[in-house]
Amino acid sequence: MSQSGVTSMLSIKGLRANVGEREILQGLDLEVGAGEVHAIMGPNGSGKSTLAHVLAGREGYTVTAGSIRFLGEDLLALAPEERAQRGLFLAFQYPVELPGVNNTYFLRTALNSIRRARGEPELDAVSFLRLMREKLKILHLDDSLLKRPVNVGFSGGEKKRNEIFQMTILEPSLAILDETDSGLDIDALRLVADGINALRSAQRSMILVTHYQRLLDYIQPDYVHVLAGGRIIRSGGKELALELEQRGYGWIEAELAA
Amino acid sequence: MNALLDAGLAPWLRAIDPGPIPAWWQERRRRALESLQTRPLPHSKEESWRYTSLNALLDQGFTAPVQPFTPPPAELDALLIPGLDTHRLVLVNGCFAPELSSSTPLPEAVRIGGLSNWLADDPDLLEDWLGTAIDGKAAFFTLLNEATLADGLAIWVGRGLVIEQPLEVIHICSGQAEPPVAQPRLLVHLEAGAQTTLIERYVGLGKTPTCTNAVIEVSLARDAVLRHERIQTESNQAFHLSGLYLVQDPGSRYQGIQIGLGGRWARTELNVRLQGPHAECLLSGLYVAGDGQLLDYHLDIEHRAPACRSLEHFKGILSGRGRAVFDGRVLVARAAQKSDATMTNRNLMLSEEAEVDAKPQLEINADDVQCSHGTTVGQIEPELLFYLRARGIEARLARRILCLGFASEIIDQIADESLRGHLNSVIGQRLG
Ligand SMILES: Nc1ncnc2c1ncn2[C@@H]1O[C@H](COP(=O)(O)OP(=O)(O)OP(=O)(O)O)[C@@H](O)[C@H]1O
Ligand SMILES: [Mg+2]
Repeated sequence: MSQSGVTSMLSIKGLRANVGEREILQGLDLEVGAGEVHAIMGPNGSGKSTLAHVLAGREGYTVTAGSIRFLGEDLLALAPEERAQRGLFLAFQYPVELPGVNNTYFLRTALNSIRRARGEPELDAVSFLRLMREKLKILHLDDSLLKRPVNVGFSGGEKKRNEIFQMTILEPSLAILDETDSGLDIDALRLVADGINALRSAQRSMILVTHYQRLLDYIQPDYVHVLAGGRIIRSGGKELALELEQRGYGWIEAELAA
Repeated sequence: MNALLDAGLAPWLRAIDPGPIPAWWQERRRRALESLQTRPLPHSKEESWRYTSLNALLDQGFTAPVQPFTPPPAELDALLIPGLDTHRLVLVNGCFAPELSSSTPLPEAVRIGGLSNWLADDPDLLEDWLGTAIDGKAAFFTLLNEATLADGLAIWVGRGLVIEQPLEVIHICSGQAEPPVAQPRLLVHLEAGAQTTLIERYVGLGKTPTCTNAVIEVSLARDAVLRHERIQTESNQAFHLSGLYLVQDPGSRYQGIQIGLGGRWARTELNVRLQGPHAECLLSGLYVAGDGQLLDYHLDIEHRAPACRSLEHFKGILSGRGRAVFDGRVLVARAAQKSDATMTNRNLMLSEEAEVDAKPQLEINADDVQCSHGTTVGQIEPELLFYLRARGIEARLARRILCLGFASEIIDQIADESLRGHLNSVIGQRLG
């Protein structure tokens, strides 16, 4: 059960993970209940993206100890696509470009793969286009992006917005947003935050990885965690983010050392 | 004759009787045969045959059918691409089949007919035209085609004429008793300023081995513009040889796209002669070779006049034990100052066993030129694959999508949307 006592969305216990020979996650615990928004902050290189990738199932990350349960299932036993089909979504810190792969086609294939896996009927091209236009408006994205190959030649901010756009189409149960706010201008940040807030619901949980308090002004988290040295070293409410903004991370590390 | 006989190629020389042919035509055949007799069979010591063995082809015992053959219309219908609106011209075993072709009238300034029709209507023009683009550069199999020349198709587009509707030439090779070999000849000439699109398709009927040995001669007069899409989707039992000979006059523009998806053994030779200043030749290609397939490309591009541009861009996807050869040469003559030539070849390898031999070369004899070439051989990037899978797309489909993305740079150059769709689905099926 999560801290708040609601149904568990994600439960991570004692997670240790290596990248290559190096241990990056060193005994990480995290409980996320349904409908909760958790912010994870922490110094560069502390393992935030590593955690996100381990959750999404990326190759090259070896889990050496601990467990992850997602909606009651053993997440680590699932292939990346199965995780997505069950409702996990990662908005990448560095979204890749897919030359020659049309954005619309890509997203429809993704949505229909997920629907197929769930035994739901697939959407035809026309209904999908309608759905997409509706969601585009929310993010004020230009629909010329849809005719282009995925992320190719997109600006940094456009790539980030495209990630959130994908999220609004795929409607995941658990979204992990890895520094989606980095590289966004002030207006874009607002739009992205609105898009994320519009998706908040009692059934949907979010993990926001961020370096900046600013995003949390728009999206109020239920919990804030500090990840350092591959572990969650402090958790608190949204006031913790404010304190970090003023004081940095050193004081926590100092307190722990004391 | 010995090499031919020893190799069992004599049955290739039985030609369908085209009726009376004039002395000059007989003379051409005779000279071709004579020339063949002095040559050895292509062998692995020849640079362009280094990676390509003829043995599998010779083992088949291909035989030129002597009876004219007309496939049932239903079989032909199955070969058409829905939505592709063209003026259709069908060649069966190298012979023009008007009864299977479009009968809608074309503008008067475009003249299309079988070689036997041309012989009746304008023998002098045909005599001057036939073989001109080859200009003494005939490869072994081109000579073999010439030595049996019985029929074929010739297309003449008059001065300044712009034809909007694409011409579509469908090559069918089929036979009843023995594995058939067809040796079609196609002549295309655009007069000054003419513009047209030609789609050439090599298709398979049935699953038995067939062999096609096609020779295509294309000449573009001043400022003519030809878009030429050549699409080979024969069965995986098919053997295919095609030799294209292209000559370009000043200011002409050729955009050629080669798509090779079928064939157990398919060799394409592209010979280009830029003989007038400011001519432009854009050649792209895509080959997709799977288990048991060899797709073999040879490009010989000659910049003979100044200020011409040529761009050769070929991409390949290889899976299973699929093999490909890309052997490209750009020659810049001393007089061809201000030449601009770029040759690239990119290969995507989907298996450890697949193999590609890539050999682009530049031979530059002028000093003021811009020429470059490059080759890459790579795999699907795991990071890209993960991105698709992280969106719920299963690994196999994700790989296919990335391959089609890789191919799209070439496929998207095909003008017609229905044809692009058709090709994407054929490629998708072939990638499994
Ligand atoms: N493929 C890899 N090979 C070697 N080391 C890696 C690899 N990926 C990550 N690391 C290392 O793991 C550590 C954690 O990286 P990670 O990307 O998880 O940090 P982060 O907390 O997301 O940092 P940032 O805030 O800068 O995004 C870093 O020291 C990084 O250099
Ligand atoms: Mg990171």
